Amino acid sequence: MPAAASKDRKKRKLQVDNVSDVEEDLGQLGLDMASEDEQEGSADEQESSDGEEDVFPELKSESDTDDTSEAEDDDEDSEEEKEGEDDEEDEDDEDEEDEDERPFANAADDATLRRGLAPHAKTVISDITGAPKRVFPPIEPDYDSDSSTEETPNRVGNVPMHWYDDLPHVGYDIDGKKVLRPAKGDELDKFLSTVEDPSAWTSGFDKNLQADSQLTPEELDLIRRLHAAEIPDAEYDPYEPTIEWFTGKGKEEIMPLSAKPEPKRRWVPSKWEKQKVMKIVRAIRQGRIIPNKPKTTKPQFYALWATPSSDHPPPLPAPKPRLPTNAESYNPPAEYLPTPEEKAQWEEAEKEDRERDFLPQKYSSLRLVPGYQNFIQERFSRLLDLYLAPRIQRKRLNIDPDSLIPSLPSPQSLKPFPIFEAHRYEGTHRARCVSASPDGAWVVSGDEDGVVRVWETAVGREAMRWKFESKIGSVAWCPRTDVSFIAVGVDEAIHIVVPPYLSPSLLSATLSLLNPTNLPPPSTSATTLKWTSPMSYSPESTTPITTIILPPSSGLPKQLAFHRRGDYLSSVGSTDGQGAIWIHQISKRHSQSPFKKIKGSVQRVLFHPVKPHFFVATQRYVRIYDLAAQKLLKTLLPGIRWISSLDVHPSGDHLIVGGYDRKLCWFDLELSDKPYKVMRYHSRAIRSLHFHPTYPLFASSSDDGTIQVFHARVYNDLLTDPLIVPLKVLRGHHIKEGLGVLEIKWCTNQPWLVSAGSDGSLRVWCN
Amino acid sequence: MGKIQKKGEKGAAKAYVTRSAAVKKLQCSLADFRRLCILKGIFPREPRHKKRANKGSTAPTTFYYAKDIAYIAHEPVLRKLREHKAFAKKLSRALGRGEWSSAKSLEDHKPTYTLDHVIKERYPTFIDALRDIDDALCLITLFASLPSDSRVSPALIESCYRLSSEWQLYVMHTRSLRKVFLSIKGVYYQAEVMGETVTWLVPYMFTQQIPTDVDTRVMLTFLELYQTLLGFVFFKLYSDAGLVYPPPLDLSKDEGAAGVGAFSLLETKEEEKADEANAPSTKKQVEVEGKVIKGKDVRKTIKELANLALPPQEATSAREISAETSTLESTIGEEFVVQPSSNASGAAASLPTLHTLSTLPAAPTTLFAPYTIWLTIGTPRPLLEFAIRAFGGRVGWPETMGSGSPITEDDESITHVIIDRPLPANLAPEQVELRRRRKYVQPQWVVDCINAGKLIIEGPYAQGATLPPHLSPFGELEGAYMPAVGEESADAEMEAAEDEESEDEEVAEGEEEAVAADADAEMVAEPATASALEAAAKAPSDPALLRAAELEAERAGLDSAAFEEKLKKAVKKAKKSGTAVVKEKKEADEAAAEGEMNKMMMSNKQRKLYERMKYSERKRTDERKAIEVKKELIRKEEKKKARKSAAGGK
Repeated sequence: MPAAASKDRKKRKLQVDNVSDVEEDLGQLGLDMASEDEQEGSADEQESSDGEEDVFPELKSESDTDDTSEAEDDDEDSEEEKEGEDDEEDEDDEDEEDEDERPFANAADDATLRRGLAPHAKTVISDITGAPKRVFPPIEPDYDSDSSTEETPNRVGNVPMHWYDDLPHVGYDIDGKKVLRPAKGDELDKFLSTVEDPSAWTSGFDKNLQADSQLTPEELDLIRRLHAAEIPDAEYDPYEPTIEWFTGKGKEEIMPLSAKPEPKRRWVPSKWEKQKVMKIVRAIRQGRIIPNKPKTTKPQFYALWATPSSDHPPPLPAPKPRLPTNAESYNPPAEYLPTPEEKAQWEEAEKEDRERDFLPQKYSSLRLVPGYQNFIQERFSRLLDLYLAPRIQRKRLNIDPDSLIPSLPSPQSLKPFPIFEAHRYEGTHRARCVSASPDGAWVVSGDEDGVVRVWETAVGREAMRWKFESKIGSVAWCPRTDVSFIAVGVDEAIHIVVPPYLSPSLLSATLSLLNPTNLPPPSTSATTLKWTSPMSYSPESTTPITTIILPPSSGLPKQLAFHRRGDYLSSVGSTDGQGAIWIHQISKRHSQSPFKKIKGSVQRVLFHPVKPHFFVATQRYVRIYDLAAQKLLKTLLPGIRWISSLDVHPSGDHLIVGGYDRKLCWFDLELSDKPYKVMRYHSRAIRSLHFHPTYPLFASSSDDGTIQVFHARVYNDLLTDPLIVPLKVLRGHHIKEGLGVLEIKWCTNQPWLVSAGSDGSLRVWCN
Repeated sequence: MGKIQKKGEKGAAKAYVTRSAAVKKLQCSLADFRRLCILKGIFPREPRHKKRANKGSTAPTTFYYAKDIAYIAHEPVLRKLREHKAFAKKLSRALGRGEWSSAKSLEDHKPTYTLDHVIKERYPTFIDALRDIDDALCLITLFASLPSDSRVSPALIESCYRLSSEWQLYVMHTRSLRKVFLSIKGVYYQAEVMGETVTWLVPYMFTQQIPTDVDTRVMLTFLELYQTLLGFVFFKLYSDAGLVYPPPLDLSKDEGAAGVGAFSLLETKEEEKADEANAPSTKKQVEVEGKVIKGKDVRKTIKELANLALPPQEATSAREISAETSTLESTIGEEFVVQPSSNASGAAASLPTLHTLSTLPAAPTTLFAPYTIWLTIGTPRPLLEFAIRAFGGRVGWPETMGSGSPITEDDESITHVIIDRPLPANLAPEQVELRRRRKYVQPQWVVDCINAGKLIIEGPYAQGATLPPHLSPFGELEGAYMPAVGEESADAEMEAAEDEESEDEEVAEGEEEAVAADADAEMVAEPATASALEAAAKAPSDPALLRAAELEAERAGLDSAAFEEKLKKAVKKAKKSGTAVVKEKKEADEAAAEGEMNKMMMSNKQRKLYERMKYSERKRTDERKAIEVKKELIRKEEKKKARKSAAGGK
């Protein structure tokens, strides 16, 4: 038998023990759900669980006796059925159950009670088990029999019950005796009671008794009504029959409410309504309205294009899909079938990346051709194309791509130009700069070791060598023919040296120019720039004849440019600011800084070959100044990020500008501030450009190790555009540390090119 | 100074609207907007500068012309869609309230729209419409073959089937089919109708289900448009051909799966007679039968018809059109004489006259006229019936393939039997007898005949034979690989000759070599050795190549002496050819270098264009080369197989 049931019985026994005549008070019944009270009574629980252990065996023995008395020597297996029967009885009336159970529970104690109150039980044969069982007659719910009339034994009143938490009792009965705390099962018992006791869910925690108590049917009904949103009071009848006070026979009001006479509209038919109806009637008579007219069946299709169309332009017709080719055939030639690799590649590719939307397949006969899987998808995508894809009318150029290449005269017809490397000098240090003598027979070069060499163009024989303390930034050979000297730019100084093998007259002229006996008075202006010459100079010595000491922190002169007459020499320092550009006058041993303020860092300067103009290339722009008028003439916008080099055509009307961003711009100075032509053919930065002084040639060198030679013919008439023809790519220089050919120069009278590379080599390219 | 121009009030910002803005402007749902776009043929545009068109935003959006949207805003269909929305609300309310009678009267006055005006706007002339029916035909034929379901009603499918049958009937009647192509996707047909080429694709006869990733709503909207378009186009085509549109359908024949045979083409005159017999009183204007119709009468009729508010009756309009054609025919007789102009003494342009055009060599449309062709079970009847009848042939088929066959199988006039079955091992004697009288061919024969424009010899297409490849009659793309089918036989001969030569060589070499090698093994090894040898000979200083060649030779079973000798020969040969090659190469290189240098002078735009063109050119040639290589491989394999089989035979 379930332990819970027996436990329940035990509880009742306890209750019954304490029962006395206590008035029932529903309002004071402190109903609480067990779960709510759990925390409050956690201490109680522990306590009760402690006391549980000695109670439990007792219970068991009791239940055994119960079983025997109740089941009357029934087998164990029939017990379940019996329980079911009990359940039925529970549902029938709970009151009875109490009555029913109590006798069994307290068989010994209540023997007298039973004799007096309990009616006679009939013994019937159960039609389920076939065993005999006792059936009690239903109990009349009168005052005595109802257990709900039993008063609560605890008369402590509405006081907080935690006052009794530590005490063994929970209050006092009407006689002032202690009401003992009922035994409380542990969690397992609670659970078992919820599972096994069918009425457990209709019980609540009674605070007053500190125990679960069963809800009465009235309470349950009340809860049900509240839950169902019905009227809580079961007695209340919302549908009581109405009592007629004013209607019905003999109850009519005789007196009218107002004294107004009844209006005409109450008893005359409406005129306007009649008019409206008559209008419709007339229309029907005349056949204007046909009721239930059958729908007119206009022919669905007719000669639509028989009438002239509006002049609204029709939308652009959709392009037709491409017609199928051989590969789509069900039986294509075998060569169209994809190889396994192609097949795998096709299957791997995304749908959008595939060249064609199907794989060619071959079927030996038409009956073997299956249905095409993607037919509907493809049709759908075509429809999507028709209404979702933007349409653009494109003109297709149906020309031979080679016709786009400009037709230029063949390089063979534009000879001479350098085509091969005649000889080279391999140095160990980076050769930075190179310059050719005015007659073209000699070349001077400087490297980063501080060595300046003069050598013969034709054979490469070294004639002279100077050694300076720091690296050479630039060298320039004076273009004058009556004197001959070389300017060498080293750190914060410009040295002027005299080349060897000069004729005596030339040498004396040079010496008298550079080292005059009566030095001109030092300039009055407070510049920090100084011209010095040694007291005694011999042509054989390797000391410079004159030195221009630049102001401190002006850096290495990265460029030296002679005016065509050879008297003026311009130098560009590697530092920015006012002292970047100097113009030195050799004859007067005088230097000046032409610009008070310079915008940007100066990259290159250049004298105009015929006019007193001066080009200054900063990082982005090329500015042309008039030195005579001392004003800015023009600013050229090459569109190059960083200008590296520039050169002017001997005619003075054309300028080429090269940049580190590989671009080369050709300017027609007469034409515009913008380049006439922009070319980009080097794969690395352009380092150096040079126009040939006499031949129609120019060359560019780059960090990609190549030198490009161009034919550049300029016409005198202003109408014909200059002709630029690429002639030759000269390869040979090696790229070292990311640098290629650093400077190139043409020899004046020959179509020969001298180049200095970062690999240390100096090469002469001949035709 | 002028007024300051505000941003977003002029130019691209004003000319384009985004899709959401368009929907907002039209005050309709996105689905309705899509429907309108489909019906009116409005498509998105790609502005040149998206940022400018989208008021500075670069978010990905679709743009439409603002004018297009303004154009749809006045569309009657849009109004009807709005009315329908209101109607749907009213109806649902009536149904919800259980007001059945008002629901019924609402239902009776359900707003519907027609697309006639849309067709007229989109295709101002008939030729415009005819030019654009390709997609319509494709979709109609697709839906004609679909099973009906909850989304696609049976009535719709029937209507599509009807339209596709009407088109086939017209094409067969006018003999305008030109090309047929059996592809793996379906059958492509190309017809020439009134000088316009119409291509459509018909799926093979398999049940298809609409996939879930396909939006049926879009397809049905297109179908709605296309049904209307094709209806009007067919009406015009039929009435121009002097036929009644729609052609009456014989339901009993249709039940028997007669296909296109269930429709009967009626001449307009017959129809007219029938009309007169039925309801002579409804006709307002009765033409006198047998009276010669003159141009004046026609003009008068046209005027009268124009005065009538109702659309012209079918019969009268058809008659009028036929009359027009008759007048046209009378003008054909007149020669167009070129009047030599006095100032332009040179070539007076000779215009093609109607006479010269009519005498041009026409496509052979009566290809199968003298033949009667029997289809057997397993052949696609709709395809073959359509193709053969379009070229004038008579077609019969067994009763199991549908009713309506004009002949039975034992008809004496049958000349060809189309069969798509493997050849049985032993034929019954009566079958052999039949085969003597009739040609048994596979279906591809019909299609290839049509594409060739002449009857092809039946031999390669005989039952059970391996079919020759079926090529596209639409040709290949420009510069693509073109399989030479006509030269197949010539090729084969050449190949045979080559084979013999090579075999001879090999035999001779084999004799020279002391090593007795199996002929087969040597043949396999030879090309590999040769290639290694050639490589070694070309670069005699390269030890690695030499070593490779030696290894190859060893594998082939050559001894070292023989190898040395061979190597010497090869080196000599390589040298001889080498000098010439080097010279040529040098020249070519120089030319290429010059070209490369001239490219420097191209502008950036030109260079990009050039690169693009070159890229596509290269791609095409690569593709072609890949196919050619494959072909070469296949040929070699076949050759090998043939030789092996020959050796096995020996």
